[in-house]
Amino acid sequence: MLKTLFPTLARFRLAVQLVMLFVTVYGSVFVGSYMADKISNNLPALSCAYDQMNGGYCVLIPTQHILHHRIGEGIVHAQQLTFGMVLPLLMSFVAFFAFFFVIGKAFCGWVCPLGTLQELISKVGRRFGIGLRRVEGRDLGDVRRVRPVKWLLLLGLVFVLPLITGLGVTPHSLGNPYCDICPSRVATTLLTGNTEQLALRLGDNVSFGLGAIANLLIGFMLVGGLALRQPFCRICPLLAFNAVFQRLSPLRLAKPTRDQCGSCRICTEACPMDITEISTEAGRKAYHEDCTLCGRCAEYCPQDGVIQLKWGPFGLFTSRREYYKAKVQRELPDGTVKPLKIVKNAAKPAAGAENA
Amino acid sequence: MKHLSPLLAVLLLSGAALAQHEHHHTAAPETAVPKAARPAVREWTQQPLLLPGRNPRGERAQALLQPRGIAATSVTVYAPEGPPERLKVDYPFEADTAKIASATPKIGNYHWVVAREETPGMVKVASTAWYFGNPGDSPKELLKTPKHELEIVPDPLPREHGRYRESEKWRFLVRFNGAPLAGQTVKLETEFGSRSSFVSDSDGGVTVLFPRDFKPAKEEGEHASHGRRYGKFVLAVEKEMDGRRYLTAFNLNYGEDGDRNKSLGWGAAFGLIGMLAAAPLLRRRNGAQGETKNA
Repeated sequence: MLKTLFPTLARFRLAVQLVMLFVTVYGSVFVGSYMADKISNNLPALSCAYDQMNGGYCVLIPTQHILHHRIGEGIVHAQQLTFGMVLPLLMSFVAFFAFFFVIGKAFCGWVCPLGTLQELISKVGRRFGIGLRRVEGRDLGDVRRVRPVKWLLLLGLVFVLPLITGLGVTPHSLGNPYCDICPSRVATTLLTGNTEQLALRLGDNVSFGLGAIANLLIGFMLVGGLALRQPFCRICPLLAFNAVFQRLSPLRLAKPTRDQCGSCRICTEACPMDITEISTEAGRKAYHEDCTLCGRCAEYCPQDGVIQLKWGPFGLFTSRREYYKAKVQRELPDGTVKPLKIVKNAAKPAAGAENA
Repeated sequence: MKHLSPLLAVLLLSGAALAQHEHHHTAAPETAVPKAARPAVREWTQQPLLLPGRNPRGERAQALLQPRGIAATSVTVYAPEGPPERLKVDYPFEADTAKIASATPKIGNYHWVVAREETPGMVKVASTAWYFGNPGDSPKELLKTPKHELEIVPDPLPREHGRYRESEKWRFLVRFNGAPLAGQTVKLETEFGSRSSFVSDSDGGVTVLFPRDFKPAKEEGEHASHGRRYGKFVLAVEKEMDGRRYLTAFNLNYGEDGDRNKSLGWGAAFGLIGMLAAAPLLRRRNGAQGETKNA
């Protein structure tokens, strides 16, 4: 039954993503209205607090608020850097980690509503034959030049600006600057029929500017996502945040050795983040900071047992040649799918003809 | 460490949302009023109110409340959780101000606050909800529990990052001795002068439409929190029973409509610019450069 419903890992992941998209965007229907009732206020996914119907909050929100309202203001009040200030931040991270420990960076590849939306857009692009663009030397440039951006956004917009705003150095409107530029804020609220977050605040240049950046990003994502896979994930500070802890979760991508690897690079072609290291490296380096644990590299590895999704000692999914051969019949590594065939009154096969 | 362990437990269980904005009661300085028992404020309503005072030290676990239009000697604060002796606590008015506190310094979320004036012929109640910026149980059970005879309670209260706003409809429940009160008229008054009334349905529910009545910025009555303006409102309900008159009011703040001072046109324009910036990615490239080589 399960095998019929979910013949591939990708199909199973899509089902999980759609359920989690519903939970993260409309989840208050189940978990209740108040913040205290939410699944968590420290989810490792871009579940937006501006969405009044959501089921949980992204960890970046309390992080910015604690730095802004507690630590920054606390320092201003000339208090010591005591438990009263640092403990809230630590507890926020502990609560985040309680979730992160279970499925680690799979929050990016399986739960994040913005990641799911980008994948759905990409599927539309593939379905309509829009040529795939890659962040690599031969096309849009070396992927390594993009990677530092997410760390800069994490450091600057999630940690530094909220803190110095709490200190009174920068205007109050820079108190949660990452949320202000986050395209998930716009996308998930639009999904609830609310256009308020798309509108830009007038009379405050900082708020206007930050909101304009968010809208530029969502616009770029909606169109660029047709050709470029996961355009925002590449610079998402939550991916960087999760990457800090990725070695601490038992769920991981494992490519222990290159002995069996044919260096065919199909896994890199299948990777929505254009990670080259999965084909060129083994061991720790193969599980890269940009990995979202979507599992496509393992699905498209044509060698038995070379790439695995593992939780601790348990193998959850292992690359297999037979699986690969069946998989490429449906979808190519870059996501291109076989054209839909609309057959009218299909002719009866001739006697003796071999069934497909 | 002995004191730290329960604190850790509370923080963990509550999801540790420790930096919630305190939108609801970031009050502008109130004019000093000498006596609580004097007639209600002249400005905008005669209904009994509990108004936020200025908390000069900005302590998260404490707040100041001032009565208007009610001769009460104390306020009662109901907490959503905490030690049994802290679930219902009385705070006296001193110099026209009551200094209330959350159940414990580390327990937050909404607390329910009531001031009561009672004479043989009348019971007058002013009620409000106060949000303390720390984790705490949601106020669902707190609101369900009857606390006095005639009540008007939110169903639900705004979320911690939300608020009542102009042009929005919010549901309230009217109860008498804990039972839903059908067909009861509920009056809404706002500090910007709007007056309207609503009638409760068979379940005691009443849907209140907040009027779009904010005056242009910089005018009298303006208050702001995080750059967003807000005004005061009160819902009042009256009932006669066994020769006794019951008057209960619930007051809180409501904010501007979300689309005020915002431009959807500008927002859409920047979204469109982003789309145009991405359009070159859709162009087909010459040759097979960068094309996927599929197995």
